[in-house]
Amino acid sequence: MTVIEFDDIDNRMVLKLVYYGPALSGKTTNLLRLHDILTAEGRGDLMVLDTKDDRTIFFDLLPFFMVAPGGLRIKVKVYTVPGQVRHDATRKAVLQRADGVAFIADSRTAEMANNFESFENLEKNLAFVGLDIAAVPLVLQFNKRDMADIQPEDEIRKTWSPTGIPVVMASALEGWGVVETFRALAGMVYDAVDRRYSLKEAQGLDKEMFVENLSHRSEDNSGDSRGGS
Amino acid sequence: MSHPDDMEHVFGADKKLGDVIRRDEILPLLERAAAHGNILLSVIDADGNVIASSGKSPEIDFITERHEILLEGEPAGAIIARGDAEDAERLRDTVGIIHAALTVIISSNMKRVLTTDLHTSVVRQSYTELIETNRRLAVSESKYRELAGTLERMVEDRTRELELAHTRLLQQEKMASIGQLAAGVAHEINNPMGFITSNINTLGRYAGKMREMLSSYRDLSSHGPSGAEREYIEKRWHSLKIEHIFADIDDLVHQSLEGAERVKKIVSDLKGFSHIDDGEEISIDLNAEIDRTLNVLAHEIPPDAEIVRQYGAVHGFRCNPALLCQVFLNIILNAAQARGAGLKLVVNTAEDGDGRIVITITDNGPGIPPSIIARVFDPFFTTKDVGAGTGMGLAVAYDVINRYGGEIGVDSEPGMGTTFTIRLPASVSKS
Repeated sequence: MTVIEFDDIDNRMVLKLVYYGPALSGKTTNLLRLHDILTAEGRGDLMVLDTKDDRTIFFDLLPFFMVAPGGLRIKVKVYTVPGQVRHDATRKAVLQRADGVAFIADSRTAEMANNFESFENLEKNLAFVGLDIAAVPLVLQFNKRDMADIQPEDEIRKTWSPTGIPVVMASALEGWGVVETFRALAGMVYDAVDRRYSLKEAQGLDKEMFVENLSHRSEDNSGDSRGGS
Repeated sequence: MSHPDDMEHVFGADKKLGDVIRRDEILPLLERAAAHGNILLSVIDADGNVIASSGKSPEIDFITERHEILLEGEPAGAIIARGDAEDAERLRDTVGIIHAALTVIISSNMKRVLTTDLHTSVVRQSYTELIETNRRLAVSESKYRELAGTLERMVEDRTRELELAHTRLLQQEKMASIGQLAAGVAHEINNPMGFITSNINTLGRYAGKMREMLSSYRDLSSHGPSGAEREYIEKRWHSLKIEHIFADIDDLVHQSLEGAERVKKIVSDLKGFSHIDDGEEISIDLNAEIDRTLNVLAHEIPPDAEIVRQYGAVHGFRCNPALLCQVFLNIILNAAQARGAGLKLVVNTAEDGDGRIVITITDNGPGIPPSIIARVFDPFFTTKDVGAGTGMGLAVAYDVINRYGGEIGVDSEPGMGTTFTIRLPASVSKS
């Protein structure tokens, strides 16, 4: 568990969440949906660094910000990594000091091999940046449930339940399962941070408050209102 | 594997407003907005530090308009405007416009900063990995280089061993065939030499008897019948030079016997040198072995050569005499071949304080140039013409002395001659 930044003097904390997964599994779509669904209050704009000309640089960032009752200013940065195999260096860089990972898998049976390959890559890269996959908060999302020819849910759950990793079914395209995935990850990250920095005792910030702050749905659910002004 | 803590650059480190926008980037914006009327525009960061400021505040009756700037959703600073109280609406609009413009700048700069950030991170990471790869390669390279070096040395050592073993085998074969030849020759020569010696002895004895008989006849004739007959006999005696023959016969027989004796000695030396009778180690008298070698080499040593034998009392040395003779032979032969006329060869034997036998063989030949002196004991090294020398002589000598736990060395000064020094251990001996 590594909080990328915790500044006692400034009384602020920066957390890093990473959306990982094979190419075209819907990581960016997840962030776009979160951006649309969640309230603009306390979050920044979605930054999509879709630079086709520069193939190394390819990630998205959705930042959140909150202040705990105790005054701790918490910034949560949600990143996606490029799924293509050739962008491994970018993935390693983004994974540095990650506080939590959401693995976005493609539910289609044809993509099973890619999912496993990417998961192995996650394990390897976490080890590379000095993180243990068993210790990092990790949520598994099986996306594209709206598509045909997908792996049955009971089969997926049978495969993954022995690992104890939470599994969420989703269709980012249709907009469901996305917030659930984010909330599940946020909850796990809270538990991990709380164990180390006693967020509840020292800051009066409990898990529900933390998760709610991050995933508060906007009233009209229309999404793209400009942040802050 | 590099550890993330080794990389000082961590992607995604939080940014302050000052990291994202620069003064000279926003100052023109503020200057244009503040150009007309009494208005002071400032952009400050979260800690209240002024990033850029322009215009002039009214002294009295002013109002302040403040607008937060958000960076990734977090308040990161503010736009602060001071203007005339009656112009409040215009002030608000101005701040609104500046805020909108700043948001665009911040958003675009943020993307650039993040891109640069990631780029830097990726490049450093790749660099770290390359350094690590390079280090591992260097380690493995040096390992292989060391291995290659050792291997080369091992191969050289083994080659030398094989060459020496081969040389020994060749030498043994050579000695064996010389031995067989010598045995045959000795046998063939000894038989006729036996009757030649015996016959010459007999002939000498017969000649003596005939001389006695002739002398008796001559004595008788001096008292004989007539003066004419007596004269005739005396005349014949003198014309046939019988007196001279009588004197010469003894010399002839004596010389022939001497010659025969020499032949016998040569044959015996040859036999002794090849040691056909004993291939095993025996205790030998080194001085006698050197003499024997010099005898065998008599025809190779120029007739006018001066050989000085300075033999000291040395203990018996246990070895295969054939091999040791080979050592002396090779060294003396080299000396003989190095200088034709005027050769002076000094052979010295002695025991040093530790009971070791020290043999020095010194010639007054042309000497050995310093550039090659280190190689004279190398197998196949020769200065003779192709086909003239095998380059094995001194190598064999070195090998033999080494085998008996001794040392052989060479000192030479060009133009002054060469000295070979052989030291044989004290312990291996005295039987």
